[in-house]
Amino acid sequence: MSENTAAFQTRRTFAQKITALFAAHAVPIIFIVISALAIPISGFSATYLIQELLIRIGRNSFLILSLLIPIMAGMGLNFGMVLGAMAGQIGLIFVCDWAIVGVPGIVLAMIIGTPIAVVLGLLCGAVLNRAKGQEMVTGYILGFFINGLYQLVVLYFMGWFIPIADTSLVLSRGYGIRNAISLMGIRTVLDRLLPLRLGPFDIGTFHLGYIDVPVATYLVIAAFCFFVIWFRKTKLGQDMRAIGQDRAVSDSAGIPVDKTRIIAIVISTVLACYGQIIYLQNMGTLNTYNSHDQAGMFSIAALLIGGASVTRASIGNVFLGVILFHLMFIVAPMAGKNLMGQAQIGEFFRVFVSYGIIAVALVLHAWKRHNAIMNARRSLRGAPGKKEAA
Amino acid sequence: MRSFKERVAALVVVLLVSVGLFYIGREHKVFLDNRTIEVEGQSFRALKFVRVTVAGKEPVELMPRDRDLSTVVGPSFKLKVEVMDEFGEDVEKTIEKELKPGFGKDMMLSMPLLAADRDDYILPAPTVQAPPPADDVKPTDELAIPPDVVAPTE
Repeated sequence: MSENTAAFQTRRTFAQKITALFAAHAVPIIFIVISALAIPISGFSATYLIQELLIRIGRNSFLILSLLIPIMAGMGLNFGMVLGAMAGQIGLIFVCDWAIVGVPGIVLAMIIGTPIAVVLGLLCGAVLNRAKGQEMVTGYILGFFINGLYQLVVLYFMGWFIPIADTSLVLSRGYGIRNAISLMGIRTVLDRLLPLRLGPFDIGTFHLGYIDVPVATYLVIAAFCFFVIWFRKTKLGQDMRAIGQDRAVSDSAGIPVDKTRIIAIVISTVLACYGQIIYLQNMGTLNTYNSHDQAGMFSIAALLIGGASVTRASIGNVFLGVILFHLMFIVAPMAGKNLMGQAQIGEFFRVFVSYGIIAVALVLHAWKRHNAIMNARRSLRGAPGKKEAA
Repeated sequence: MRSFKERVAALVVVLLVSVGLFYIGREHKVFLDNRTIEVEGQSFRALKFVRVTVAGKEPVELMPRDRDLSTVVGPSFKLKVEVMDEFGEDVEKTIEKELKPGFGKDMMLSMPLLAADRDDYILPAPTVQAPPPADDVKPTDELAIPPDVVAPTE
């Protein structure tokens, strides 16, 4: 009898473990399964997939990494990162106007973008401090508000109030920046700074062709990862973690909560500015009025797909997320075409899954939070077994 | 006070770095012009055949009335002009110069003036000479509201 009970309990524990594992990693598991099904249907070669993924990891990782610090400070997913992206784009517009090319062009764009990102970060932080608990939706709407200001500056002030010498950047009416700006002068300069070509590889019957690795971009990303690891151990990083766990306790402990939260957002906005510049140097074209729009949504989707939550995110989540999210980007249209005869079907599916995943992650977060509150209440009341024993 | 001084020093360093980046990263369009030109009432005829090497790049060959474009990056570059005979076989004259556009942007080099060993061979770039295109009445950009769209009155 007791053996049966023990076996039942073991089985139950195992089932619970599986359920807990799935609940904890539901999003990446779903994406891995979908990708595993879509890759063979797409018919893409391993060489193509790896090359595309390497490019996209280099292009997007920096932007996604910029989301980690606000999460550490308990501010959730920083939808306000588009503010940093706009600052980076303003830096790029000036660099294009002045015809600064190569790595100096990228660095100069970052230097120009930094003060703009700092000011926007301060504004964002101040606003978010007045909306504690609703940081994500506030940041999202703030992005729209600053987008309006950005359009006012770029569409009306540039070429009129702000001098733009290069007439090819200016709309034919004499002021305002054109929709698309070619970044030929800085296109892939960071990616090509330290080129590395690997391959071809033959492992049994498996053949892998040449693969180009953008080493310099990866070094920059690695430096950022080390910065995040180092930052967590600093006094400021520890303060942010404490605030992320409990604001009231941190405040009682003498941590300047509001100031620390503002610093977290400023750092995130500045890093998003650099991330957008790295992203656009890889793309080679700046869509003046659209490029920043999706920066926040794509980065947040990728981070959530990597298994992060609103309260917890790691560097591992960033890389897993960017791989899974962009794997879907690559294979979904072709899988849709091969399966249904139309690439657009796959693209609809990808959009549906990618944005649905944000909703799922937010629902899971709310569910876990609710469970945590209920468990806390139960523990305060005391467990039924304990009551009986008492 | 120390903190303020440090901040000012950091700002100055950032500004200096920015100026340095501007200086070393600036791209210059160099127009190579082989057209007859009149300067101070004197006419300098276009060269029959000239080969120009800008910053060690692939040489550019110019016939009379030709104009070509080359781009260079950085504050200075080397220019090599080889004046050829009309068959393009023998080099009649070689001119080598180091040009320093510095912070300036674009420039046009007159081959006839260079061959005549004059110092005023650097001309304003054509983009600067030509007036900007007239402002279109109908904006063709996506963001612009087409003029034929009439705002609803009700």
